[in-house]
Amino acid sequence: MDRALVRRLSNIAFVILTAIATLIALTALVLTLWSLLSRGIGGLDTKIFTMTQPAPGSEGGLSNAIMGSLIMCGIGLAIAVVVGVLAGTWLSEYGGNTRYGQVVRFLNDVLLSAPSILIGLFVYEILVRPFHGFSAWAGGVALAILAMPIVTRTTEDILSLQPSALREAGMALGASRAFVIRKIVWKSARAGLVTGALLGFARISGETAPLLFTALGNQFFSTELTQPMASLPTTIFQFALSAYEDWQRLAWVGALLIAAAVLSINIIGRIVAREARRS
Amino acid sequence: MTDLPSHLSEEVHLAFPPRDALAIEARKLDFFYGKTQALYGVDLPVERNKITALIGPSGCGKSTLLRALNRIYDLYPKQHAVGRILLDGHDVLADRRSLQRLRDRDGGGDDTAMIRSPVDVAGLRARVGMVFQKPTPFPMSIYDNVAFGVRLYQRKSRAEMDQIVEKSLRRAALWDEVKDKLHSSGLGLSGGQQQRLCVARGIAVEPDVLLLDEPASALDPVSTAKLEETLIELRQDFTIVIVTHNLQQAARISNYTGFMYLGRMMEFQPTEELFANPRGQRTRDYVTGRFG
Repeated sequence: MDRALVRRLSNIAFVILTAIATLIALTALVLTLWSLLSRGIGGLDTKIFTMTQPAPGSEGGLSNAIMGSLIMCGIGLAIAVVVGVLAGTWLSEYGGNTRYGQVVRFLNDVLLSAPSILIGLFVYEILVRPFHGFSAWAGGVALAILAMPIVTRTTEDILSLQPSALREAGMALGASRAFVIRKIVWKSARAGLVTGALLGFARISGETAPLLFTALGNQFFSTELTQPMASLPTTIFQFALSAYEDWQRLAWVGALLIAAAVLSINIIGRIVAREARRS
Repeated sequence: MTDLPSHLSEEVHLAFPPRDALAIEARKLDFFYGKTQALYGVDLPVERNKITALIGPSGCGKSTLLRALNRIYDLYPKQHAVGRILLDGHDVLADRRSLQRLRDRDGGGDDTAMIRSPVDVAGLRARVGMVFQKPTPFPMSIYDNVAFGVRLYQRKSRAEMDQIVEKSLRRAALWDEVKDKLHSSGLGLSGGQQQRLCVARGIAVEPDVLLLDEPASALDPVSTAKLEETLIELRQDFTIVIVTHNLQQAARISNYTGFMYLGRMMEFQPTEELFANPRGQRTRDYVTGRFG
């Protein structure tokens, strides 16, 4: 066979294989979303947002879990953004090439892929046991530890992409380094920083394991940060494993809510990033 | 290390303007990127209210020299300069570490006593403006771009600031194009406009010296011509040092031209003199396009 034909055939074979692989991945995604939609959408009504979780057999919603998730993800994200943006800035602008900086970057990457259940156990040891009780604070801190490395990483990456001439131009006018970073570099990287925070939020909004050890869960509506708090993932976990059909139905609705939230956050992140590139 | 290879030393021809006419001056300047030396005992006299152009083949050290004049290299810990850079008789390099390096190189008995106390680096940079190869507008409005440097050092009323912004934009020949959109983003301007915005931003703080590092290399011919006109206008109020790859540009706008080669100042003459009657063989080859 001549070589051009061999190349053509192997090219065709390769295209087919990649297409199949894509199809498999997409099928899994579509099936997941489809089963979420078909089983969750039926239970979706205003009661989900207004009523707390019911006893088996009675009417109820997920308001306690939704509120709990918002509060703890909020705490987690707030801590993670402050620490992560500062750490990422330090890595990119100051210490990134020192030995200490390299160690920090390596550990951050390790933390990025650390099993979340370990984070939960860690926070259990430092915040739950010493204070003799599960709390929303502990849940928020566990989520913060999960989101922090993501924010750190994206911050460093985004800041490194800013042209050094921009920093030099600021310094050349007589501004201090810190001033240039705050007023020029961060501003110029704004969209990327927001995207990093959104990615972090998307990551932690579905986390279950770290919350089981820290916030535990709560069947009542609570905004008390020192008390156990419900959250969507832990409630789904509890309801999905139960024997009651109405609980299982609520679990599907909860899962649909999380998926919808993550999806919309990702879409918003993409829009923000694209807008920033255009301006 | 400051000695030239003998085949080069015969070609050095320096005609310096009188010392008291200088706005800024480099004396016997060495520059290092880590262990690599990029400048060898360079002297650069910059006369007040004139345009001094630096030409030479890529890698000859002209940008390095420019970046030493406002110590912008300080951003990078591995770079350092040894020698003197005098701004109004103040040694820009006279911090403790630089002085130590100078003593290590030249020994103790130098002119240290003559030199006035060191200036602080941020203050220095406010007196020596810089415009870069690629336009570097800040991610803020045109108005805020121009006001940025002024706000660092002075409190101005709204009206005063308005005046400064207008004056700077007029001097940079940008006012007519942007006066109706001062509060829209500086990033929305064309490349040539952005570069003139950077010039306006640089002169808004009324620096003594304006450094330009190949400011036209990313611009089209029309924008380049506009920028050159602007620079010639600015000569009345400012001292300008410009690095350029464009020999015609140097010939058109500058009063003095320095030709650099392999990290040395090979020839420094009034511009007409250097282009009409280059003394050194290498200078002649370069300005006639024989190499470079």
